[in-house]
Amino acid sequence: MQTNVGSPIETVTVSFIYAVRYGYSDTVIHNDNQIRIFPRYGEGQFDSQTEVWSIPFGRGADFKDRFGNQVRRLRVVEPHTNFIVAAGGNLRVATESPAVADLPISQLADLAESFEFTSVSPLVDPDSLREAAADIASGNHQLLVTVKAVIEWVYRNIVYKRGTTSVGTTADQVLASSEGVCQDKTHLSLGMLRALQVPCRYASGLITGQTGETHSWVEFFHPEQGWLRADPTRGIMLPPPSHYVKFGVGRDYTDVSPVTGSFLSTGGAKDIAAIADVRFDFARPTLRDALDLLNSAYTVRNETGSPGYPLERPERDR
Amino acid sequence: MPLGKVISLTVATESTALKFYNEWHDTEGQLRPHYNGLHEAVLSMGFESLAQRWNHAQRQVHLDGVTFYLDPGHYRNMPTDFLPRVIPPGHWETIAAGVEQRIRAINHFLVGLYNDGQDVVPDEVIYTSQHFYPEVQGFRPPKDVFVHIYGVDLVHMGDGRYVVLEDNLRIPSGISYQLKSLAMTAELFPEFAAGYDILPYDIREAYLGMFRSLTENPDPVCVLLTDGKYGSAFFEHRYLSDFLDIPLVEGPDLYVGPDGYVYARTLDADVRVDVIYRRVEDLDLFVPGLGEAYLNGKVVLVNGVGTGTADDKLVFLSVPEMIEQYLGQTPVLEQARSYNPAEPDSRRYILENLENLVIKTRQGYGGLGVYVMPDLGEGYKARVANNILQNPLMFIAQETLDFSQHMVFNKEIPALEPQHVDLRVFAVQSGDGSVSVFPGGLTRVAQKGSRITNNSSGGLCKPTWVVR
Repeated sequence: MQTNVGSPIETVTVSFIYAVRYGYSDTVIHNDNQIRIFPRYGEGQFDSQTEVWSIPFGRGADFKDRFGNQVRRLRVVEPHTNFIVAAGGNLRVATESPAVADLPISQLADLAESFEFTSVSPLVDPDSLREAAADIASGNHQLLVTVKAVIEWVYRNIVYKRGTTSVGTTADQVLASSEGVCQDKTHLSLGMLRALQVPCRYASGLITGQTGETHSWVEFFHPEQGWLRADPTRGIMLPPPSHYVKFGVGRDYTDVSPVTGSFLSTGGAKDIAAIADVRFDFARPTLRDALDLLNSAYTVRNETGSPGYPLERPERDR
Repeated sequence: MPLGKVISLTVATESTALKFYNEWHDTEGQLRPHYNGLHEAVLSMGFESLAQRWNHAQRQVHLDGVTFYLDPGHYRNMPTDFLPRVIPPGHWETIAAGVEQRIRAINHFLVGLYNDGQDVVPDEVIYTSQHFYPEVQGFRPPKDVFVHIYGVDLVHMGDGRYVVLEDNLRIPSGISYQLKSLAMTAELFPEFAAGYDILPYDIREAYLGMFRSLTENPDPVCVLLTDGKYGSAFFEHRYLSDFLDIPLVEGPDLYVGPDGYVYARTLDADVRVDVIYRRVEDLDLFVPGLGEAYLNGKVVLVNGVGTGTADDKLVFLSVPEMIEQYLGQTPVLEQARSYNPAEPDSRRYILENLENLVIKTRQGYGGLGVYVMPDLGEGYKARVANNILQNPLMFIAQETLDFSQHMVFNKEIPALEPQHVDLRVFAVQSGDGSVSVFPGGLTRVAQKGSRITNNSSGGLCKPTWVVR
């Protein structure tokens, strides 16, 4: 006999575009990147179809990294001074987050997830945040209650401000300055939760129904339900998967940066423009759509960066 | 030979001298049989006259311009110790068989990797490797040889047990120092060789034969492409160009013609080049379009493009499996037990046993980024552990090996002193499927108190004999 273990998952179809253009001050001889802009399968995302393009054309190789993210290694060997990477695709996303029961954090101690996702990572050092985290938890040891307390604290106390932090800003620096963007709020929340022994990871992707830039949020581990979402930038606990298109997960930004790599040139990185768009729409975007969108993106001067530069656009409301 | 005699020669570091296997004498101070002649030669010469001739020889190194630069533009003679290392009968057969297995297996792996795929090394390791080039996918190099010249670093654990530390596939360097130190020792210290039957070999014919085997042209035009006189191994480029009698060219001397072939500019005319023994990695930076010409089959590059993937120290972990899978053989040489910190179980083991391990950066070379934890203070441990946790994909860990020491002449004392040595063995693989492993190799000596032997890290080099 077969048992229906749950009602069918309600989903909607969304389509997305992500595009970025790097400008260089001199000819680039080769440009070698890892690209993480494929919707991740599972945890409320299904049936994605994605195409990734680059101008100039580069040869690629696809693989999964150790966090299970789909990655394309892409190398361009044609000389260029501008490099465009774009992705367009569609997928189904669940409209509701699963119902979850709270439980003591101590039950998570011996899980494999705890080993990987509670220790130090390049931008998040839990040791530096233990005191602040203990204050916020104020003696509570339940998983959901603790996560909620931390992300709400970060939502209220870290001022959303762009331009004051960079891709290399660490979680403790965010606490000290009390300001930053979604990436910074996510890092600080991760550091505090890890200090409280909650296994949690950085998720990177896009926000549905919005044209703008990439987003990041927290995922924490629940022994029965797996990885669940919490968004400290928007102050939402357990938002439905359909609010986002998720590209990848890792310990912090350094594991899931959408485009990261190196180039060989006598010049340097000059400027960057990036843009993303997600719609409740079935039609799969074309390269033309992506380039049109990219033309509306704001270009940022880049003094020091490389293709791993952050995706910034000034007018934004989150 | 009685204990007293050797001790009188080795005044320094008695404690370490007995802790490690010494190639020259056993723990009782008894000379190993194949060092009797050499020891006699040193004794009858006397330290004073040895020191004098040593000075003369070092001046010769300087006059011959035998250099290895640690940083570009900073002149540095290749420090050489002229006391030969003697590899006794029996040892060499094992080394040669093991090295041949490795070069063949790694070549199989590369052909598979860039064509039908491979399942020995995890995908993430390959595709995050700096020297994996997606544009090489689907390309078969001439005669299916990617690895033409191979250098492998071995250490001797004692009594003929040699262990592999790492492979060098991209641009293995050092063979000129092997040849030069041998030639200088033969010329300046002829009495060392008295009574020894040293196994001869012909590197010149092996290289030229290999070049010829890769093209249809029976008399191919071959050149050596250098990164110029400020490169760390320029001496070697110049030496090999002389030795092989092939032109030494810099990037601007070559160009890709409208027909896609590669030409060298000469005083008389432009000459089409068949084989480039390239000693640079970023081909298109030196000769625009060279990478494409290679992939279009218009020119042969030695070594092939993309071989550096197998230089990755995480790929090294899988070489024994390659030997089993591709050759159906059992590896002849052991290799240092190694751990990948990206795997949670291995990471746990590494963090718990850090004080006993060697930590290396995955894509490091020349001894850079090597931490021999037992030789470092306690203060380093927390820092290295933190580094591994933060960047588990950047490192590998290896068991620390108590490998052999060899006598080095210290003219200041004067005395013979034991210092750690390794052995870089070179092999050549031809288009006809043959492999030659050159007897001996480049013995590199670590600085006193260190186990890092790389010349980039300041080590000496030493002539090496295989005797019959």
